[in-house]
Amino acid sequence: MTALSHEDRAALVDSVRRLLADRCTEADVRRIMDSESGHDPALWRALADMGVPGLTIAAEHGGAGLGPVELELVMEEAGVALLPAPLLSCTIAAALLADGDAGDLLPGIADGSFIATVAFAGAGGWSGEGDVIVRGGRATGTARFVTDAAIADAVLIASDDGAYLPLHAPRVTPLPVFDRTRRMADVTFYGEVRRVGDAAAVRRALDLAVVALAGEQAGVARRVLEMSVGYAAERHQFGRAIGSFQAVKHMAADLLLESESATSAARDAAEHLAAGSGEREAAVALAAFACADAAVRCTKDAIQMHGGIAFTWAHPAHLYLRRARSAAQMFGASPLWRDRYLTALEAMA
Amino acid sequence: MTDDEVLREVQDWLAAHWKGLPAHHESFGRDPRSEWLAQVRDAGWAVPRWSRDWYGRELSNDQARIVERAFAAAGAPGAGQDRSNLWANTALAHATDAFKRVIVPQLLAGEVGMCLLYSEPGAGSDLAAIRTRADKVPESEGGGWRITGQKVWTSGAAVADYGMLIARTDWDVPKHRGISFFFLPMKQDGVEVRPLRQITDEAHFNEVFITDAFVPEANLLGPLNGGWGVLQTALAYERSVMGDNARGPRSGAGGPKGDHSLLGLAREAGKLDDPVVRQEVAQVIAWRVLNKLNTRRAKAELAQGNSSSIMSLGKLAMSRILHEEARVRTLLLGAESLLEGPEHPRAEDANFLALNAYFTSIGGGTDQIQRNIIGERVLGLPREPEVDRTVPFREVRAG
Repeated sequence: MTALSHEDRAALVDSVRRLLADRCTEADVRRIMDSESGHDPALWRALADMGVPGLTIAAEHGGAGLGPVELELVMEEAGVALLPAPLLSCTIAAALLADGDAGDLLPGIADGSFIATVAFAGAGGWSGEGDVIVRGGRATGTARFVTDAAIADAVLIASDDGAYLPLHAPRVTPLPVFDRTRRMADVTFYGEVRRVGDAAAVRRALDLAVVALAGEQAGVARRVLEMSVGYAAERHQFGRAIGSFQAVKHMAADLLLESESATSAARDAAEHLAAGSGEREAAVALAAFACADAAVRCTKDAIQMHGGIAFTWAHPAHLYLRRARSAAQMFGASPLWRDRYLTALEAMA
Repeated sequence: MTDDEVLREVQDWLAAHWKGLPAHHESFGRDPRSEWLAQVRDAGWAVPRWSRDWYGRELSNDQARIVERAFAAAGAPGAGQDRSNLWANTALAHATDAFKRVIVPQLLAGEVGMCLLYSEPGAGSDLAAIRTRADKVPESEGGGWRITGQKVWTSGAAVADYGMLIARTDWDVPKHRGISFFFLPMKQDGVEVRPLRQITDEAHFNEVFITDAFVPEANLLGPLNGGWGVLQTALAYERSVMGDNARGPRSGAGGPKGDHSLLGLAREAGKLDDPVVRQEVAQVIAWRVLNKLNTRRAKAELAQGNSSSIMSLGKLAMSRILHEEARVRTLLLGAESLLEGPEHPRAEDANFLALNAYFTSIGGGTDQIQRNIIGERVLGLPREPEVDRTVPFREVRAG
């Protein structure tokens, strides 16, 4: 893994931010989410040209060879921009393949030409639903809520005992999703698979997925807070800016605490992952629920702070609320992660 | 000097001088550690960032942290006061040269006891509404100031040598503009200290009644009628310290480990399998850890030379942590929390913490005032209108 200096990291984040400000405006997000596939190849190409899909892929496989810390920072920007692209899916798939013998798929993921995603199948997957059995080199059953499956060139299976690549295209049934900026599908497998990673790879991929999503949630929280504060400073009622009313100001102060805490939790978890630290499990669990809860609270209260204008479809606040509420259910909801957090602390005590 | 040279020098110095301390010490009054602290001061380790003229070594922030870490590793107190010593920082920034020469070295060595004389019965959150008066003594009678008024919530007043006092020096201008900041000598007739019994049944604070007490001319800090600005510096130090530390249980039975003590209590209570309890315990521990992570991030941002808005969040976060931790402790104890006294230390802790949480959520500015400050100074939201901001104080209606 390459270690970036503080300055290089800031430059990376800045270039991603500028690209997204240019190519992933609110109008772009709305256009893409209203499209049939929910995917814009041109935007994905632009991100690939900057090396974003291959950020955490080793240099020998055509990636940038960076780690969880850089990924988390980039995901914050993806959250700010509400990026509708298969970045999370490809990142998890790449993590699953990193140490296996299917490294030949990695260069395609890194250069953006091959979109891969992951069906979490172990113990019913993270949703507790779905039922995929891998036995005797064959996978059968349906995995639920697989991100970006309809546009993916490959859907990997992450089961309790390892990762598998289907040798035949599975059946993909797109789902009508609440957050239209992140498409999902049910994926039915019914044929031969090739083992491409062990249980440790699955574990690592899930950790990375959770931290990446936590970064995205922190970005979402930060963006809606900015939006609300900006609005509260300029919207006048009763002859003064609504931000001068304590009821509004106090809400903003509380949201700042939520948003900053989420950022701290996501970054801390990324650092623990990068360092392979013994406190990794606790840090990842903490980020999972702290960031999910913060994003939901901030996006929810942001609409309240805006008042009627944010109750309209035309205002972007609901898009963020949809993203936050949906993301909070992915990879396990907060109560599960709070429980795991306590289990990790018990083990450390 | 390179970082390595700093580290070697401080370690060598500690090895040669540090022999440990007497076991017990009080946080107010003359510090029994002062002999040691004076050595630290004279060696330049107390305030390594300050100039050499003022007991410092002109070290960079990073190098000063090396000094602090070396002291912490040795278990030796006294380093890093350029970040933590409210009194010395305020004096250095605002006192007259004559007074600074006397007071700063004493403050760094803990040779003088200090207390804060800000709040009054009629001026809590609205601190600028103070009515304690400072009247100029004519030069013909020797100059200086006569102080009369009443202060409250004063820690350590009984043993203090000086109180940092705000008093009104001009009644004909709006309230923020007529206040001055003084170091009031406490050991004099005219300063009467009475303990104040709190809801925790302790008497940690005092009321201070001041009747014609005298402050010499040199003890005025900052410009005459410019005390509000001096106070802001002093309050900023206080808040950042309060967000970082909070007092633990009274008995110590909950253990000093902070984050994990709730876990221990849950285990003792046999409730670690209760899924509802697990959620509550995990969430409270998480808030405490998140606050630490925020503080660490803020410090890292400051060390990189950026300003950090996160620092101002600590006190508000700590209020929630303390109130919620007390609530969950009570939940874990159940009916045991009806009791108190030395035979029931766990109940005593839970109940004490529930009451004492207000120390943080009201003291040093209520959570509500803190949210105003965050909203206005960090997020840049417009100020809450103040109807008396431009009115001469003489004409302001008082409760």
